[in-house]
Amino acid sequence: MVDILEKLTIVVKRGKADKNSPYPPDLKGQDGADELTAEALKMGFTPDEVLQKALVKGMHLIGEDFSAGRAFVPEMLMAAKAMKAAMKHIEPFFKSGSVKQKGTVIMGTVQGDLHDIGKNLVAMMIEGAGWKVVDLGSDTSFEKFLAALEEYPDAIVGMSALLTTTMVNMKGITEKIKEVSPKTIVMVGGAPLSQDFCTQIGADFYSPDPQGATEYLDALVKSA
Amino acid sequence: MKDHFTVHLEPLGKKVEVPEGTPLKDVLFSYGVEFPCGGKGICGGCRVKVLKGDVSFDERHRSLLEKLNLDFSWRLACQSYVTGDVTLEIGQFDTFILADSSPFLFKPQEGYGIAFDLGTTTMVTQLVNLKTGKVIGVETAVNPQAQHGADVISRIEYAVLQDGQATLTRLVREKFATMIHRLIRKAGGIAPEKIVVVGNTVMHHLFCGRDLTPMASYPFETPEGGACHFTPEELGLKTDDHTDIEFLPVLGSFVGSDILAGILATGMAESKDPLILVDLGTNGEIVVGNRDRILCASTAAGPAFEGTNIHMGMRATTGAISSVTRSEEAIRVHIIGNEKARGICGSGLIDAIAVFLETGKIDIGGRIKGESGRIDLTPEVFLTQKDIRELQLAKGAVASGIQILRETLGFAPEDIRNVYVSGAFGSFINLENTRRIGLLKYPADKIIKMGNTALLGAKMSLFENGDKIRDILQKTIHLSLETNPDFQDIFAENMIF
Ligand code: B12
Repeated sequence: MVDILEKLTIVVKRGKADKNSPYPPDLKGQDGADELTAEALKMGFTPDEVLQKALVKGMHLIGEDFSAGRAFVPEMLMAAKAMKAAMKHIEPFFKSGSVKQKGTVIMGTVQGDLHDIGKNLVAMMIEGAGWKVVDLGSDTSFEKFLAALEEYPDAIVGMSALLTTTMVNMKGITEKIKEVSPKTIVMVGGAPLSQDFCTQIGADFYSPDPQGATEYLDALVKSA
Repeated sequence: MKDHFTVHLEPLGKKVEVPEGTPLKDVLFSYGVEFPCGGKGICGGCRVKVLKGDVSFDERHRSLLEKLNLDFSWRLACQSYVTGDVTLEIGQFDTFILADSSPFLFKPQEGYGIAFDLGTTTMVTQLVNLKTGKVIGVETAVNPQAQHGADVISRIEYAVLQDGQATLTRLVREKFATMIHRLIRKAGGIAPEKIVVVGNTVMHHLFCGRDLTPMASYPFETPEGGACHFTPEELGLKTDDHTDIEFLPVLGSFVGSDILAGILATGMAESKDPLILVDLGTNGEIVVGNRDRILCASTAAGPAFEGTNIHMGMRATTGAISSVTRSEEAIRVHIIGNEKARGICGSGLIDAIAVFLETGKIDIGGRIKGESGRIDLTPEVFLTQKDIRELQLAKGAVASGIQILRETLGFAPEDIRNVYVSGAFGSFINLENTRRIGLLKYPADKIIKMGNTALLGAKMSLFENGDKIRDILQKTIHLSLETNPDFQDIFAENMIF
């Protein structure tokens, strides 16, 4: 019986979205995350069980592989696609309230920058770890972060920058966020950043990869 | 008896036919090889390695090598004459800068002209006799702005965030004047009719003194990318007043007039068949098109091809593994200068990955098999997992850019007649391996290493009245890859080997 959740974990990790998807080649023709999620729910597993014991677990495994260099951007994107295919079945339960997300994270690439692939990966991983993600896209100004914070006052803010000329914009945005909402936690990331830079601009957390971010977020929930 | 011989220049892959007895100095000069001691045979700066055949070699030459502590596989170019077919390696110069010696068609004119390629890293200029088309002088230098950052973004940072714009402009103009003065002096004080300068958008703005602020953040559009004309006086040149100095216009965003010159050099705007021009540098500019329409973009590949951000990466200088091959089970590396390996340069990295994909040590996702997470090439030099990831980002970006531009124009890969590869690094790569790793997905016989297309195009434009440049500008559209919603998926696909 547990078998199907294990299977689902594996197809999420390996990035098999549905039966028709050609990737990965060795799983051709087999059920993907889409079919297995539907089946698991039909078999009577609760949406929460499916989410926690299969989807979150699968994403965690790919996140670990990514951190260790065993997997890279393409594998991660495929896993995220598989997760999305599974989430279609779970989402209705978020709305009805029968499945609880851990909290809300507002994500955006900082003003002046349109590099969004890293930000997207982090957003997918955070979503895959059981959070609601509000993705503001690229070129995100303080005003846009603020508007989202007004809608989700308890949300955590995550910012990304890939240019040394735009990462400096994080400073102003962080300061303004802290001014209007001192309790809001700000996470930052992106290739040119460092822990030093994070400390310097008064942000709360930096991680070079998505795994670090999900672990940090989970720790916040536990300590709360 | 043959009275002409072939000089084969590695790793450029260039062949030059010259009459017997030609001084090697004359052959190498136009490739930017410098002769620091002026050809006296005492500094060793012009040393080349004989790979096959030989050049003249006498007792005097032998004793000069001994004094310089060089073994007898070396020759001093300044002491050598062509006496037979020969293959030479010229990649070992620390200051090796790619000039250009390609033949081209031109309309003979009176006087002299100067072509100037202002690169982010290096500056190279040639003095051309407009009557004969012959290059009669070359000067090369490292861009003095480099002390304020290696790539264009760090120059922008220095100019905009640290108020250094005026400094960068002064530095580059001073160096420019020094180089032009030397060219002219060595040629006996001639007065050039015109000087054509090309460079990327950041170099254009810094040379011309235009505000770089718009280039610091999205949408990276500058209103001041047009052609800039100067009088010699404005640039501190002590030359005839009539000399017309022009910095050619940029094509848009991060695609500059070096690429405009490259388009001119390839003849793309007149070609019926579609062509591709790729610059395998940090900006990774790409141009696709034919006489009907041309698209250009920059893919921001990053510096992995230049050996930067690679754990044991280095430039293509002495001690760098520059190629990796496999015969049967043995892996062979070639080290520039045949010395102990100190690191690996871009061409070696591409070869190594291609070879280990073949052996199965690296899988198509880029993962190194086994637990060690590294691959040893020599006792000193190894590749890390992260090196492979860096290369995947760089080659994925370039391959995606090519694909997007080509598809936007509605061309299939088979429609492309030729792929021209420009830039210093492009001249050194093994084309089969480039294909194997999915950087340029075109048959090797369609790919042409073109060397410094910016300098060649600038030289060609010395003979033009401006019509061809206007034609290119009119046909060429800059595409912003960052607004393409499919980029991420295409990029991910192209990262796979
Ligand atoms: C792909 C790419 C592009 C694409 C972007 C497409 C897109 N939609 O994002 C295109 C081609 C459009 C592009 C354009 C440009 N690019 Co670009 N680009 C790259 C490239 C090749 C890879 C970046 C990438 O996607 N990496 C993969 C992702 C997954 O990694 P990541 O973003 O770092 O994210 C990871 C971590 O940092 C972290 N993370 C990221 N965000 C966050 C946030 C939080 C909260 C946390 C915790 C973690 C975290 O998690 C991610 C997963 O591990 C790099 C070069 C390279 N080799 O890295 C250059 C690079 C980033 N680009 C560069 C430049 C200069 C540009 C341009 C300005 C100019 C140009 N040459 O064209 C333009 C302008 C773009 C714009 N308008 O903003 C430079 C920046 C140099 C500098 N000093 O800042 C680079 C480094 C290349 C170079 N050396 O020249 N680029």
